[in-house]
Amino acid sequence: MSAGVLIYCFDTPHVLYHPMANLCIDLVRLNLKLPVTVVTNKDTMPFIQNADGCVLVNNQKTNYRHHKQTLVPWYNQERSSAYEHSPYSTTILLDADYLVYTDNLLQVIKGASDFMLHDRVHDLTNRNIFNYPTKSMIPMVWATVVIFRKTALAQNIFSMVKHVQQHYDYFCNLYRIDFVNFRNDYAFAMALNQLSPDRSLYSLPTAMNMLPMDAKVLKADHNGIIFSYEKFINLVTAQDTHVLDKEAIKNV
Amino acid sequence: MDIQSIRQRADLSFDTAVAKRNALERARSRQLVAHNDHLFMADATMINLVHVLKQRLAVFFVLDINNNPCEIKDAEVFLQLLVQRNQESLNQYHQLCEQLKRRG
Repeated sequence: MSAGVLIYCFDTPHVLYHPMANLCIDLVRLNLKLPVTVVTNKDTMPFIQNADGCVLVNNQKTNYRHHKQTLVPWYNQERSSAYEHSPYSTTILLDADYLVYTDNLLQVIKGASDFMLHDRVHDLTNRNIFNYPTKSMIPMVWATVVIFRKTALAQNIFSMVKHVQQHYDYFCNLYRIDFVNFRNDYAFAMALNQLSPDRSLYSLPTAMNMLPMDAKVLKADHNGIIFSYEKFINLVTAQDTHVLDKEAIKNV
Repeated sequence: MDIQSIRQRADLSFDTAVAKRNALERARSRQLVAHNDHLFMADATMINLVHVLKQRLAVFFVLDINNNPCEIKDAEVFLQLLVQRNQESLNQYHQLCEQLKRRG
C-alpha cells in the first residue's frame, strides 16, 4: 500500500498560495513523514519546494469568491479530479492552507474506510461562526481534508462530485444552497447526499480546527500559529489547523 | 473592585474558556486510534466497554466510529492502546488546565 498527500496549489492574480503550500509540504514531511504530490499549473510550479512530485494541469479560471468585500479569482475547480491525479493507493487530500502539526491523520489512514472527511468544525476563536444551518438544506461537510483509497466507492464519489460540478446551479437549487460560486465543500456534500445519506459512513469523528477569516495570522511556522482577533492574541500548537486568512501567506 | 479590574477579569475569563475549549478539542482529536483496520475513539466509554467485555469474553465485537462491527481477539493489546492514547491526551489537557489555574 502506498500512502501520500495530495495538495492543490494555484497562485491567483490576487493571492499567492505557494508560500502557504510550501509550509504545508514541510509540515507534512515533518509530522506525517509521507510523500507529497502537488497539483499545480505552469505559472505556480517554479515556486513549489520540497514536493516529491508535481502534476501539471491547465486549471479552470472561471470561478470567483468574495474576499473582504471584493470579488477575487478562485481556482478551486480541479479537486474533483483528485482520484485521477493522486499517484497513491491511499491519499490524504489537503488544502494548501491546512497546516499539519500532529501525526493524527496517520491513524485515520490505518482505518478501513474508503472515504472520509470532516462534517464538524471547531472555531479556534470559540465563537462558533461556522454554524450556518440556513445556508443549505443538507448537512455541511468540509473538503479541506479528504482521505480516500483507490476503490470503486471513492471513484464513484469523485465521479458524482464531477457531475455535481457540471450541473452546479441545478444542484444548488435542488438543495437550496445559498452560495452562488462553485465551492467544493457543497459539491462534496451534495455528491455524498446523492450516493449515501448515512453520514456516519464517511464522517471523521473529530472536528476540524478552523481559524476564521477575521483571525489575523501574525506568524505561522513549524512550531505553530500565532493569531489575533478582536483584542485577543492566541497561539495554536500541536493542533492541525485550517487557516482561512489568505493574507496570512505574507507572514509565513 | 473597580470596573477596569472587572473588565480585565472578564477578558482573562474569556481567554481561559477559549484555551480550555481548544485544548479539549485537541485532546479529542488525539484520542482517535486505529486497530485492526478500524477507527475508535479512546474515550471513557470505549475503555470501559472493552474492559468489561475482556473480563467476560475471549473474543468479542465492538462498533467502530462508523458503526461497523470489529472483532477483537487481542483485547489486552487493544485496551492498552486505548488507555495509552486516552491518558496521553488527557495528560496534555491536565497540564494546560494547571497553567490556566496558576494564571488565576
